[in-house]
Amino acid sequence: MDADSDVALDILITNVVCVFRTRCHLNLRKIALEGANVIYKRDVGKVLMKLRKPRITATIWSSGKIICTGATSEEEAKFGARRLARSLQKLGFQVIFTDFKVVNVLAVCNMPFEIRLPEFTKNNRPHASYEPELHPAVCYRIKSLRATLQIFSTGSITVTGPNVKAVATAVEQIYPFVFESRKEIL
Amino acid sequence: MTGRVCRGCGGTDIELDAARGDAVCTGCGSVLEDNIIVSEVQFVESSGGGSAAVGQFVSLDGAGKTPTLGGGFHVNLGKESRAQTLQNGRRHIHHLGNQLQLNQHCLDTAFNFFKMAVSKHLTRGRRMAHVTAACLYLVCRTEGTPHMLLDLSDLLQVNVYVLGKTFLLLARELCINAPAIDPCLYIPRFAHLLEFGEKNHEVSMTALRLLQRMKRDWMHTGRRPSGLCGAALLVAARMHDFRRTVKEVISVVKVCESTLRKRLTEFEDTPTSQLTIDEFMKIDLEEECDPPSYTAGQRKLRMKQLEQVLSKQLEEVEGEISTYQDAIEIELENSRPKAKGALASLTKDGSVEDTTSSLLGEEDTEDEELEAAASHLNKDFYRELLGSNTPGSSEAAGGPEVGSRPPALESLLGPLPTAASLGISDSIRECISSQSRDPDTSGDGELDLSGIDDLEIDRYILNESEARVKAELWMKENAEYLREQREKEARIAKEKELGIYKEHKPKKSCKRREPIQASTAGEAIEKMLEQKKISSKINYSVLRDLNSMGSASPRGEDSRPEDRASARKLSRRRTPASRNGADPVTSLGKRLRPLVSTQPAKKAAVGEALLQSPPALGAEPVRPAAVLVESGPVSYHPDEEADEEDPDEEDGEPCVSALQMMGGSDYGCDGDDDEGY
Repeated sequence: MDADSDVALDILITNVVCVFRTRCHLNLRKIALEGANVIYKRDVGKVLMKLRKPRITATIWSSGKIICTGATSEEEAKFGARRLARSLQKLGFQVIFTDFKVVNVLAVCNMPFEIRLPEFTKNNRPHASYEPELHPAVCYRIKSLRATLQIFSTGSITVTGPNVKAVATAVEQIYPFVFESRKEIL
Repeated sequence: MTGRVCRGCGGTDIELDAARGDAVCTGCGSVLEDNIIVSEVQFVESSGGGSAAVGQFVSLDGAGKTPTLGGGFHVNLGKESRAQTLQNGRRHIHHLGNQLQLNQHCLDTAFNFFKMAVSKHLTRGRRMAHVTAACLYLVCRTEGTPHMLLDLSDLLQVNVYVLGKTFLLLARELCINAPAIDPCLYIPRFAHLLEFGEKNHEVSMTALRLLQRMKRDWMHTGRRPSGLCGAALLVAARMHDFRRTVKEVISVVKVCESTLRKRLTEFEDTPTSQLTIDEFMKIDLEEECDPPSYTAGQRKLRMKQLEQVLSKQLEEVEGEISTYQDAIEIELENSRPKAKGALASLTKDGSVEDTTSSLLGEEDTEDEELEAAASHLNKDFYRELLGSNTPGSSEAAGGPEVGSRPPALESLLGPLPTAASLGISDSIRECISSQSRDPDTSGDGELDLSGIDDLEIDRYILNESEARVKAELWMKENAEYLREQREKEARIAKEKELGIYKEHKPKKSCKRREPIQASTAGEAIEKMLEQKKISSKINYSVLRDLNSMGSASPRGEDSRPEDRASARKLSRRRTPASRNGADPVTSLGKRLRPLVSTQPAKKAAVGEALLQSPPALGAEPVRPAAVLVESGPVSYHPDEEADEEDPDEEDGEPCVSALQMMGGSDYGCDGDDDEGY
């Protein structure tokens, strides 16, 4: 295969985690008893609420902090969070939607070639660690982006990072390295 | 003896007596040197008749025992904690290392790693056992000994991933680049355990060769080395007519049976497995295989595509599902670019350039490829793969594929529809649901906070009757908890009433202290002291006044020690007040009020009397009390404190405040004070 860059890499975002605050205390029992889509974990002190459109799962703490997971884009995460805030408002809380922040993004990306993991690890020593006894993938950390990449021999790469942009940059950064140690076609 | 020259006569004949430890010139008799340190080993005869060397062993790792008298118990008493940690670690490493049969060199290296870890504070918050095990494994990796992390976790009865975490951290922090594991290392060890007897060498050679081949066929990346070794050894054993069951191998290499089987099937999948034993020993196949998981993934992908094509064709046949057609078209559109990339990677020879070709063309190329791929495959593996696929749809799509010839596909279209439609309708439903989800989100995305579809949200919220029912249910379900809660509240209320309730202090939030800003050192110290109370024994107000104080407080300058002492005592008690006011008398009077409450009119006089007029003291009614009361301490205070405080008093106040700090206000005799009256 030609080593040109016209192969567009699809980065598929699979999960976006965001947090926000409601600036008011939430009576979890009230939420639990009046919502149709909730799971109340009394012993942990949290309520799980699920929404459709966007399909997200939110963890609600009585302090008013809420963690939303399951969105597939940053906009969707924000939209889901707003909807969640709205439904809390409807439950009768004085919700103020503040401090919205995307905290984690998980994405997968498929390289169109296989990767020689031992060689790759050797070339990128301090950042990459490969322990087949523990995990089949190479773990590569980019400190400046706070992103972690799991690189599999099949060429699929799982990226976690603080936001979508960092994830995209991480893939861009890693591409030349993995390309270097791709499997040569005889 | 040596080239030494006598200082006295210049003679060179110098006699050195090791026993006496001196050097004497034989010419003039002058002693050139005495008390020479003897560097000879001496022996003493013990009472049993044996002899022992005189002296003491000093161990290599420093901190050893200094020659102590009467050792015995309290062995660790004088040692630093660090040294103790190191000693424990060393013992641990030795213990573990001996179980793993590591040599001394490895143990020493491991100990050095441990020392590094300790000095970098990496042992904090981790168990000693974990850290030492990680150190040992680090050595195993750098030295290339055939030990697995699993062995260590076996010995310690700790989860291997916990150890792995520690190991990775150590490796990262100590900047040790452990070379990647080579599965070949483990072959001799496992072969030995499998007891091949005389043929041990041959079998392991064959296994090594197999392993090399597996490596070239990309079977080893991302896999546990032990699993590969197991597969290679099993095959090698069979090749040499040994009867080793999968179970035996498993017990040696410590992997799961299904893992081993998977490795075997993967190996079966490679062209090498088609060779005979002789061929295998002679021929090295040129080509390399794709990683098994990769090919499996590709196959799955292709199967999915085929499924879609099939379903599309089925639609044409069946009228019922024609309504879904649009959705699938869209789905196909969506999946096109992905397929393009995957196909491009597959067609290594670059024969298929126009991946943008029509759907039919794509299908054709797929079929060709499939044909080629299927020639490698045997049926068992295929079925296994299908099993792992989604059960419903794979049955439908896999059925025709096992036949997997293009003509079969067309011929199947006739008889298959009902069975296929069953399976495929599932996948179609999936497609539709996923699609119906997407446009909605993008459509609603522009809405702002207030504009969210309230009607829909309302549906998430139960109406009153529903809520009541749910509440009832919940109450019933959690009746016990609620009761406990109530009881707890009642108890707390009760305790509060009785005043014995101890409120749980909320955890002090460790907010960062503001950096101290002060213009002078004294101020800075003061602030610092304010922030962190060093001791409750210190009277901070006195400290604060240390510098600002002039000579305001009374000093016992009288010649009479008794009076001075009492005055000092009094002043000690009222220092806080007297610091502020420059007038000692009034403050003294204030302080004395409890004492002299029976003679309120005379209090001012008393103050004055105490301070200034020793001769008049006797006349005052209160004075005996004060003197009496103080007499206890006075008897020794003047003796010892007067001496040491004389210099202090010259430079003014500190003496008082220092005393104050030491003793607080109730130094000796406040209790007596009260009883005195």
